[in-house]
Amino acid sequence: MSQTANETPRSTRSRYERPRRPFSILGMILGLILGIGGTLAYTWLLAPVEAVDITPWQMDSEGRAAFTAAVALAYAQDGDLPRAVERLVSLRFPGDPIQGVADVACQLASTGYVNSSSGLQAVRAMMHLYQLQGRSGCADQLIPAGGGPIAGVVELDLPTPTITLTPPPSKTPTPSAGQATPTPLVIIVPTSPPQNDFVLVGVTTACSLERPGVIVVEVYEANGATGIPGMEVRARWNGGESRFFTGLKPGRGAAYSDFQMDSGIDYLIDLPGRADPIQQPLSAVPCTTPNGDRSVISYRVVFRQAA
Amino acid sequence: MRFLVSFLIALLIGIGIGLYLGRVQFPVEVTDSPMSSLAPLYRDDYAVMIALAYAADRDLAGALDRLRLLEVENVAQFIQDTTERFISTSRSVSDVRALVTLAEGVGRLTPIMEPYRQVGATG
Repeated sequence: MSQTANETPRSTRSRYERPRRPFSILGMILGLILGIGGTLAYTWLLAPVEAVDITPWQMDSEGRAAFTAAVALAYAQDGDLPRAVERLVSLRFPGDPIQGVADVACQLASTGYVNSSSGLQAVRAMMHLYQLQGRSGCADQLIPAGGGPIAGVVELDLPTPTITLTPPPSKTPTPSAGQATPTPLVIIVPTSPPQNDFVLVGVTTACSLERPGVIVVEVYEANGATGIPGMEVRARWNGGESRFFTGLKPGRGAAYSDFQMDSGIDYLIDLPGRADPIQQPLSAVPCTTPNGDRSVISYRVVFRQAA
Repeated sequence: MRFLVSFLIALLIGIGIGLYLGRVQFPVEVTDSPMSSLAPLYRDDYAVMIALAYAADRDLAGALDRLRLLEVENVAQFIQDTTERFISTSRSVSDVRALVTLAEGVGRLTPIMEPYRQVGATG
């Protein structure tokens, strides 16, 4: 009985009577909160990891743009599309990496970056890369097609004067044998633009399994709809050229002519004596069809009679 | 005393957990860094791309301007070092040739580069 009287139910024991825990719950919670929170604040805000050995996507906008330009310039030289895409992937563009090139080209073309010839060339290389893959951007409108010299100016290399052993009977002084040979003189003579009766309307690309690696050239009258048969078209490449005529495949229309490219060769297309060559060489580079198949890119070059 | 000991032990555990989370599991993703912080692998790749462009257009000013973003102390020395390293580690011949052309362009053609020198390459 007395034993029963001495036992107190657990629930009714005061906290002073219960055995003490070996640790303080409150102390543990406070310690953990302060430890985790303080360390996270330190590692994320006060002393974040120092940026060394970063990957391209972590660069600032200037670095990303420069890297993109370098990818396009390298591609223009080696034509290695998988390598170019691999490099672009490392930039982690949101969405399509090729469209990312178009966006960067647009951004650069809107700034003073294109005021230098190097910058302009880089933007054109980017345009070349994304246009071949069927993408477009605002640079297409901002940057004129072609990369040749400024129209209306031609550079002439005058021949170096040579030493004459028997001077002609004139009062013109002849350079003596001991005189140093002057360096070639380069003068710039402004000229009027060449008068061509055909103009380049545009160059478009296509990627299909049916007709890979073909340059289709079409020549139209000024109205842009009536094809002109029998027009001579020239394809030139390093060390060779080929001439062909429109209208020889009547099933494809009077304006039509085509040329099969070989891989690894750049081609310039013109109408000899009638239209300037296109400024951007065309080359048979790999492409991906809308169905995801691998093929070789084809081009459609359209000329129209000047109004 | 019990509170203080518990607090200190939990604080140490919390610091450990915080370090793991902040440095390993969820580190800060560094962005907006200059190109000079690129990893060596990508610096090499960038140099190769610039060299390929230079091999095509011979625009030395443009090439040097682009390489300046790497903020190396001596661009010419950097090109020479990169080229020689590419040669000694048997990297792609086309990359080596482009680098050699650029090295020659900046006046850093060394004997080890001679076999890769492209005929007609000038600075």
